Amino acid sequence: MEIKAYSRITADKMVVNGSTVYSSSDGENINLTDLYRHLGIDYPKFFKMDNLCKAGFLGAETIIRDAGMDTVTPKKDCDIVLFNSTSSLDDDIAYNNTIEDDANYFPSPSVFVYTLANIVTGEIAIRNKIMGESSFYVLKEFSSSIIYSVVKETAQETSANAVLCGWADFLNNTPDVLLMLLQRTGDGKIQFTAENINKLYR
Amino acid sequence: MMYAIGDNIVCGLGFNTDEVYSSVRRDISGVKRCEGTFGVHEPFMASLVDESMVDDVFDSLHNSRSKSLCRDYTKFEKMMIISAQNAIEKAGVDASGRDFRFILSTTKGNVDLLGRQNTDSERVYLWRSAELLSEWFGNTNIPIVVSNACVSGACAQIAASREINSGTCRYVAVVGAEVLSKFIVSGFQSFKALSSEECRPFDKSRTGLNLGEAAATIVYSSDNEENKGNFAFCSGAIRNDANHISGPSRTAEGLFNVLDTLTENISSEQVAFINAHGTATLYNDEMESIAISRSGLNEIPVNSLKPYFGHTMGAAGVLETIISSRAANDGIVLGSRGFAQSGVSCSINISNMTKNIPERGQAPYFIKMLSGFGGSNAAILLKRVL
Amino acid sequence: MEQLILELKKQIIEVLNLEDVKPEDIDSQAPLFGEGLGLDSIDALELIVLMEKNYGIKLGDPAQGKEIFKSVETMAEYIEANRKK
Repeated sequence: MEIKAYSRITADKMVVNGSTVYSSSDGENINLTDLYRHLGIDYPKFFKMDNLCKAGFLGAETIIRDAGMDTVTPKKDCDIVLFNSTSSLDDDIAYNNTIEDDANYFPSPSVFVYTLANIVTGEIAIRNKIMGESSFYVLKEFSSSIIYSVVKETAQETSANAVLCGWADFLNNTPDVLLMLLQRTGDGKIQFTAENINKLYR
Repeated sequence: MMYAIGDNIVCGLGFNTDEVYSSVRRDISGVKRCEGTFGVHEPFMASLVDESMVDDVFDSLHNSRSKSLCRDYTKFEKMMIISAQNAIEKAGVDASGRDFRFILSTTKGNVDLLGRQNTDSERVYLWRSAELLSEWFGNTNIPIVVSNACVSGACAQIAASREINSGTCRYVAVVGAEVLSKFIVSGFQSFKALSSEECRPFDKSRTGLNLGEAAATIVYSSDNEENKGNFAFCSGAIRNDANHISGPSRTAEGLFNVLDTLTENISSEQVAFINAHGTATLYNDEMESIAISRSGLNEIPVNSLKPYFGHTMGAAGVLETIISSRAANDGIVLGSRGFAQSGVSCSINISNMTKNIPERGQAPYFIKMLSGFGGSNAAILLKRVL
Repeated sequence: MEQLILELKKQIIEVLNLEDVKPEDIDSQAPLFGEGLGLDSIDALELIVLMEKNYGIKLGDPAQGKEIFKSVETMAEYIEANRKK
């Protein structure tokens, strides 16, 4: 498969296909709502998401729209395969804050629902009507070889024509996202290999 | 195809598969009323694993490496290690080998460590749980954690089959584990998803789910060496509803697509039964009935094991696969405890009675089905080998 | 009542993260669910928490929410009649 497009969100900027599309003002960490406004997206559900979903959503949104995929046609031949290291820990902490103090114990359903790592795959699937496989894996650290082999085996089994895959992590106000849109045939510029995944991440 | 050459279940009904299966056959449920447990404000129904029993069994585990590793393992870690070690011993294989990999299926792992003082802060990470598991057995391959909400247990088996089919590994231990805590119980309570009684999957009077704790392990091998296989994994599928992050699709789109893929090359007469997710929430059970019906599988007996174990989340797919395999080997379909009158809109074949599988020889397959948050749906096709 | 309605609108916007919505955008009599604000089942559960947290009202049966959350006005009426704080 080939990497048709990719996006990278780090502490201070967003890069799409190698070009910086947004950077935060000096020394500050990137604010995902500012990034959303900058990208001119209109999707009110974004504001309900936790940070991990926001980061993954924005990473996916740019490359999927660029690839000319719409948000309405059901896409059974597209898979979503994501990885990270902290699972949903950022939102786990937020939810724990709603229950920790017995005198102020109000478990929040809208925070709890995001305490699952794979909700980010669901949010991207809902936005884009992606109905193929959706999977989420947790690794100690970014591993291009594991990402490569798991995604390759997935696509081989499902015969997907497109796969949205990569790394989506968020903790301590810091996003770490590398999303790639794979297609079976493309312009042949970037092959989907472990080496190339690593290059795009570093 | 891969073969299950060893398995184990640790849950409220016991610490090994035979013990647990025999309790289920005697219609014993592990679900009990819990009051004040974990500091949760309202009572709830759940199947818990006794912590002092976990400690005792863990302390008696013979492992030459354990002395040098010795840490204050958590209940979650102890349960997954007990389960894995027992299953690996049954399989009789060397878990430290380069051709062996661990796949951990869990949604929340050690989440109850959050906010606690004096704990090693890494221990709350799911990858750290998997690392502790591999380390215990001296295995140096990077373990993989599958965290796909409540369908994780099926996804982990599918991931294992990909490892084995691609020749990356000869053996994969799929370990599903989940413990309950204030975190998890309060969350489900805030969803108004819990039943105040024993859950009644697919029943007209169902009012919600029960939660449960469990660790369950299946050791899969690429070949059926010495005919050790208890059952075989044939194929699996995972599909997204693309509908809502917490509510299942009203047309069961994702699960229908899963079943459609899974039964591509077999006829419904060849399937002995479908072990449904059957959480006993209004929407889940309704959605499953729609998926089964749309797929034309209405005649196949359907059951749910949730009344025995509660919903064990990341462990459910592994645990329920093991119990179902025992039933398939015995030529029976376990009944859905507590089911009296259908409360789903599609006509499917649910029964509260354990029954013989008719024309057993013709129906070697069984299906384990799951559905979860994030729009995920999964099912696996399994085959008895006895 | 007018003041409670305004207070509620602000609270709803905050807890449901309706970032681009202002209190004056919400019609007090219009249905909260369905079209309009695009609220879903999780939002309904969050409104139950709001009532408990801010007004001390505990809903025994979540199905009651259907009637109470018809509009901001019906919600305000229910709170007025049942509030404990």
